[in-house]
Amino acid sequence: MSDKDSKLNFEAQNPAEQKLWAALEDLPRGEPSNELRRKFYSELHEASKPGLFQRLGDWLGLGQGVGWVTAAACLVVGFGFAQIMQRGAAEDDRLQVLENNLALIQRELVLDRLQDGSPGTRLKGVVDAGEIAATDQQVAMALLDRAAQDQSTAVRAAAIDALGTQMNSDVIGEGVMALLQASDSPIVQLSLVDLVLRHGNAAQVRQLQQLADEGRLHPDLVRHVQGSLRSQSI
Amino acid sequence: MQAVSDEQLLQWVADGDASCLGTLFERHHRGVYQFCLQMLRNPGHAEDVAQEVFIKILKAAPKFRGDGTFKGWMYNIARNATYDYIRQNKRHGEPAEPNEYTDALNVDEISADQSAESQQRMGNLTKALASLPAQLQEVIWLGRFEFDSFKELGQALDCKTGTARVRMHRAMQQLNLAFAEINGAPFDE
Repeated sequence: MSDKDSKLNFEAQNPAEQKLWAALEDLPRGEPSNELRRKFYSELHEASKPGLFQRLGDWLGLGQGVGWVTAAACLVVGFGFAQIMQRGAAEDDRLQVLENNLALIQRELVLDRLQDGSPGTRLKGVVDAGEIAATDQQVAMALLDRAAQDQSTAVRAAAIDALGTQMNSDVIGEGVMALLQASDSPIVQLSLVDLVLRHGNAAQVRQLQQLADEGRLHPDLVRHVQGSLRSQSI
Repeated sequence: MQAVSDEQLLQWVADGDASCLGTLFERHHRGVYQFCLQMLRNPGHAEDVAQEVFIKILKAAPKFRGDGTFKGWMYNIARNATYDYIRQNKRHGEPAEPNEYTDALNVDEISADQSAESQQRMGNLTKALASLPAQLQEVIWLGRFEFDSFKELGQALDCKTGTARVRMHRAMQQLNLAFAEINGAPFDE
């Protein structure tokens, strides 16, 4: 991997040069942005089979949106699988590599869908993201972002629901509680309340009860919270 | 996951399985970007060239003869792509000046727990390196951060092992002089 330091054996006669060599290790090196990955997969598809990609893109109705990048990468992976199937060889290592690539591309596709202009596509992205959020912090954070900011109430509510498996994460747990206090939509509040009641830990449930007691939730939700907590205690 | 060697992945790319380039990209794009950034001193340009490097790898994969490592071959492509980029963009402006570049680099990366004096010294080292001619910067950067041997370094620089060693010594001498001039004193830590 490129991010390891090299072990090249440089020996200088001048001690200052030797010290400089050692000090170079601590130089700031800069980090690439996520755009580099997106651009690469986009370029990869253009460099591979532009005619085929164009036809498939039109067929899939992807237009010029961000989904293009991941869709193209999926096709590249599919092409790889086809190559393997053709040869019929038991190339386990190769399959492992392809599986890893596929997982990576699926992840990019999910993140793309969560940013799509169409609420329907974002909703699909939320459903898919819910399946991988448990093992992928970035996807979980993207879900939280949808839950907090999406213009569509349906998408926000679905994102909240998908976060259920992530409530044990401190970042997500705190984010959900902050969202609960900030949200002014009763529907979103209801989803958040149910999320905390179903998946929240003791501290989060106590916080929810406090919000209800202080009247900081919609009146119908206050009754819902108090009723649910009473039935749980019984 | 390094169960499959870079060379094997490249062979599969050459056989027509472009998806394997994704794995090579994931393994190496950070290092290639950092090399390009050092040479071009502009994050946007560095990303453009880094991306181009991997597309060049896709096209050139069948030409890889296997008489060196993939990594040495890849950095040779990265080096040529960087120089091509500099040549093509010369009309539109030279790379950023060293001071501008080092200011643009996130100085926080140097580490918050270092003393102000130490940070100053690292800042001066960054400037000294950036002030060297590109041919000296590349040998230091690749030798320090990317390669384990002068043989592989020579492959990347398109020269013999002994030449790579000589270039490295010359580059470090120049870096020492440049640092002393910027810092007002030699490196003494």
